Amino acid sequence: MDAILELKNLRVEFKAQAAGQDRKVAVKDLNLRVNPGEVFGFLGPNGAGKTTTMNVLLGFVNATGGDAFLFGVNVREPIARQRIGYLPELTYYYKFLTAEEILRFYAKIFGIPRAEADRRIERLLKLVELEGARRRPLKTYSKGMQQRVGLAQALINDPDLLVLDEPTSGLDPLGRMKVREIIQRLKGEGKTVFFSSHELGEVETICDRVAIINQGELKIEGSVAQLVAQHNANLEQVFLKYIGYQPAQN
Amino acid sequence: MKRLTSCLVLLLLFAACFSVGTLLQPQAAAWSQHGQDSVVQVLLGDGRWLLANHFFTKADVYFHSGYYPTIFDRKNPHQESHMAGHTHEAGDHDDELDFMGPPRDWIERFGRHAMITKHTHLENGQEREILPWLKIAADIDPHIVETYTVAAYWLANQLHKVPEAEQFLREGLRANPDSYEILFSLGRLYYENDHDSVRARNVWQLALRRWKDQEAAGRNPEKFGLEEISVNLARLEENERHLAKAIQYFEQAKAVSPAPQNLAQQIEDLKRQLASAPPGTQAP
Amino acid sequence: MNTVFALSGVVIKELYRRKDFYVLFVLTALITLMVGSVRFFDDDKIIRIVKEASLLLIWISALVIAVGTAARQIPAERENRTIFPLLAKPVTRAQVLLGKFAGCWFAVGLTLVVFYLFFGVVIGSREHHWPLANYFQVMWLQWSMLGIVTALVLFGSLVFAAPSSNSTICLILVIGILLLGGYLNRVAAQQPGPLGALIYGIYFVIPHLEWYDLRKFVQYDQGLVPWSYCLLATLYAALYAALLLFAAWLVFRRKALNL
Repeated sequence: MDAILELKNLRVEFKAQAAGQDRKVAVKDLNLRVNPGEVFGFLGPNGAGKTTTMNVLLGFVNATGGDAFLFGVNVREPIARQRIGYLPELTYYYKFLTAEEILRFYAKIFGIPRAEADRRIERLLKLVELEGARRRPLKTYSKGMQQRVGLAQALINDPDLLVLDEPTSGLDPLGRMKVREIIQRLKGEGKTVFFSSHELGEVETICDRVAIINQGELKIEGSVAQLVAQHNANLEQVFLKYIGYQPAQN
Repeated sequence: MKRLTSCLVLLLLFAACFSVGTLLQPQAAAWSQHGQDSVVQVLLGDGRWLLANHFFTKADVYFHSGYYPTIFDRKNPHQESHMAGHTHEAGDHDDELDFMGPPRDWIERFGRHAMITKHTHLENGQEREILPWLKIAADIDPHIVETYTVAAYWLANQLHKVPEAEQFLREGLRANPDSYEILFSLGRLYYENDHDSVRARNVWQLALRRWKDQEAAGRNPEKFGLEEISVNLARLEENERHLAKAIQYFEQAKAVSPAPQNLAQQIEDLKRQLASAPPGTQAP
Repeated sequence: MNTVFALSGVVIKELYRRKDFYVLFVLTALITLMVGSVRFFDDDKIIRIVKEASLLLIWISALVIAVGTAARQIPAERENRTIFPLLAKPVTRAQVLLGKFAGCWFAVGLTLVVFYLFFGVVIGSREHHWPLANYFQVMWLQWSMLGIVTALVLFGSLVFAAPSSNSTICLILVIGILLLGGYLNRVAAQQPGPLGALIYGIYFVIPHLEWYDLRKFVQYDQGLVPWSYCLLATLYAALYAALLLFAAWLVFRRKALNL
């Protein structure tokens, strides 16, 4: 089975902030595969290199070494992003546009014909429950509403791979439940979801496989069920073990 | 309660402003009545001279429909304004205004298409377009005498607005009571437009006195001014058949004229006429 | 091209949903009407001063809109983080740059159409004739010039740290070129050796924006400039804008955008 997302010896280094300092290695020779149709959790503590990895996948940052592929296409090619949907952690969209206008804008970028775009916009606005606010500018939206717009724009091109960065961050329990439902529905449709999150309880519930990275290196990759069974502990405990956390001795 | 307090404070402030305003208003009125500068002139300070000069030059630019040298051009712009009513054609001072010269490079050659390269003067009533700049220049600095004389010339002679010309000259005279140039222009207005030789004579004689006062005070007024006034007075007296007076004025003009031979000829003619005139026809 | 047009549409929407355009238009209209209402020596046929005031305001407003709009495009995308969902789509940075340029340029073009329509109505009501070809030439060349300015400001937005510094520097540069650009060769000729050569070099390198200022032709009723001149000037503007956009792309493609 061809991987939908593949990292081969991915290395990302940044220039030193001050003179005399070594270059900072954010990602060290990372190897990863995500298979079609699975929900994959990308976990790590703050500063582990998760965001940098996502930056490379999305083309915001160039890799120093190694390669990253989406659907077998190198991420340096813009066409690699034709079939992905991306929801950033902090959702900011053009505040002067309405939800409908934003979705139409992104539909145009994907080259979706007008009639089809109209149909999808209707469906997505219904899915994220923003029909009533579709003609209001985004600057009048609450954070939760903006997050839902973000989800809608990530789905406008009916992506085969959804990249979600902390999708439930800042949402109330109801909002989190809805996001989980959407992810599970997408999985049921055969889509692949790749997301990072600190909510390990959620990850344990919905992910098929996870990868844990720390200090730019992959610590462990595998099925959630297997990891939990192997260590006879919940995912949080597994996570803490692999990032080298030592509880204080009483 | 808070809203009421805010309203009361606002009312109180408004009442205070109004009271201070009524206290100050008589002083401000008295200030302007004493012939002090207006607020605009105080704000601009000495810069108003530069600004007024700029606007006067702007009128000249308009007169030439944009064909005008900049500070970067080879030759100096003409020293004397050609709006001053000399009845010459655009070609008469081509040499002076031929400031462009050949283009130095292809950029300049190409850029000349975006420049006005034809030397023309406004005519057929279009001279009105220079008037706003002259008015503004006069408002900013009322002591540029040429502003009034130039404007009055075009108003009276080309635009047939004689009352406006007279009013503008009178404004100029109020600001410049010693100006013989404005008095001379006023006299021309009375003589050429109103055909009132009595008023014209009075005003020109006053202009002559002002010129002589300036000379006596060591201010070196232009001799051309004396010549102009004297020649016009002479012609007025000649038309009124006061030949002796006419000769007197022509002699005065000849003394300062750069081309005295022309005036000498006219004096001779008048003397011949005087000699052959019947007695009792010459008023002193 | 869909992407470029989609991006330019967003820029145009932004312009007419902000207040800048309306404020400048109202200001221009008010001042023009005020100048037009003043009677000098009781003569209601004086028109050139109204033309000059109006055309000057149109030029200033269009320049402010072009510089202001272009200066904030990419910095605002980065600051507001809207660039991330955008570049996560199959969009290249070159397309983003082109889309922003096209949007700013078309937006300023629409602005010019509105301003010149107003100008035509006001002046035509006094003069009772409409030299449409003249107006078209003035507007077209001004729009071409603003293409160079927009490209310059977009390039500046990738080089300078803040939109305010970019706007200030670009405005000073543009105004300097408009006022002095055509005369640098004369200044160079008067300078000693190396300094003269340097000034001459600058003279040849700068975009000659003063070629696009045909206000005097409308103001003084001087007729049309040759259409071949308009064509060549448009070509020059296109080449210069392309050069600046290419330079901007070279800078933009290497910029790291961190989430």
